Amino acid sequence: MLRGLDGDAGAHGELLTLMSRYLRGYFGRRLGAGAAELEDLVQDTLLTIHLKRETYDPNQPFTPWAYMLARYKMLDHFRKDRARTMVPLEDAGELFATENAEEGAVRRDLGKLLGGLPPRQSQLLQDVKLAGLSMEEAAAKSGMSVSAVKVSIHRGLKIMAKRVRDADG
Amino acid sequence: MRTDELIAILAGATTPTPPGRARQRLLLACLIGAVGAAALVFGVLGFRHDYALQMRTAPFWMKPAYTTWLAVGAFMLVDRMGRPGAKATTGRLVLIGALAAIAVLAAINLAVTAPDGRMHAVMGRSSLLCPIAVTISAIPAMVAIMIALRGMAPTNLARAGLAAGLLAGGVGASVYALWCRETTAAFVAVWYTLGIVACGGVGALLGPLVLRW
Repeated sequence: MLRGLDGDAGAHGELLTLMSRYLRGYFGRRLGAGAAELEDLVQDTLLTIHLKRETYDPNQPFTPWAYMLARYKMLDHFRKDRARTMVPLEDAGELFATENAEEGAVRRDLGKLLGGLPPRQSQLLQDVKLAGLSMEEAAAKSGMSVSAVKVSIHRGLKIMAKRVRDADG
Repeated sequence: MRTDELIAILAGATTPTPPGRARQRLLLACLIGAVGAAALVFGVLGFRHDYALQMRTAPFWMKPAYTTWLAVGAFMLVDRMGRPGAKATTGRLVLIGALAAIAVLAAINLAVTAPDGRMHAVMGRSSLLCPIAVTISAIPAMVAIMIALRGMAPTNLARAGLAAGLLAGGVGASVYALWCRETTAAFVAVWYTLGIVACGGVGALLGPLVLRW
């Protein structure tokens, strides 16, 4: 964590990978393993650890800090979940709309990032990284060569990473 | 998106993050709050023209000293409340120290006052105005501090709001104290404390509403 705060990307990545395992276990025990929202919650918390990393005080132990963040995210999730289960059945259509809007805080930010890219690049990223198409399928769909697709996706990810960095300050 | 991809993006996006940055923003919020309070107090109530004389007297400095002391304790509390899992012992001790100090001063103040003058020592001439003026002076600080605190990561919103309210009250009171004409420690102990505690109460009520992130 400390090296991550100094801007060491490798250490930051290691920390997040390690945390993703702990978090999966932590949320799994409370929501039931394999719960659909489990991975969303893990990702949401990882994003929170990243965005709120400046609130970690190096003089304090790390575990309580991360634990409280995870707990906050989980309670937040339950709160939204409860609000959702109280919606009557007729409004089910609306329900899915709010679910997309609220639940996917990560996804919404991602959408904003994707929106800042040229349309073709954004489409490629969505096809390959979100919809799970292979490079070859995406190439066929867009009419580009496989290597061009790879380059475009790589550049797109780089641009997005830079945007996050800039937005971070 | 797969989790390892998210991690890769986030790791690539990491930048050096000095841990003092949140504290600096909080301090900035207090300064903004103080400037706002000064604008309110001197704009609405007007300037005093006896500063040169007043500033040489101890009571003039006692009031802002007490409220600033409280604000320092509250600042430490807020800084802790914005950090998940952090303990807030020191801030609490500083607050208790300030309250103890003013209580002792007030007791001495009353002890040396003739019995029939004691009521006046406590009530002064502006006992009704004081807590209200303190609360209103605290509004700019309250807004600025809540925004700064929400940028941190408070997990107990009511307690974080309470601490933020006390800090805002301390800032507002410190500015109002420069205008206030009361001179007795007993007055300060009762009415300033009441005004600041009221701000804390407002903050505790606002916290769950405005601090969610």
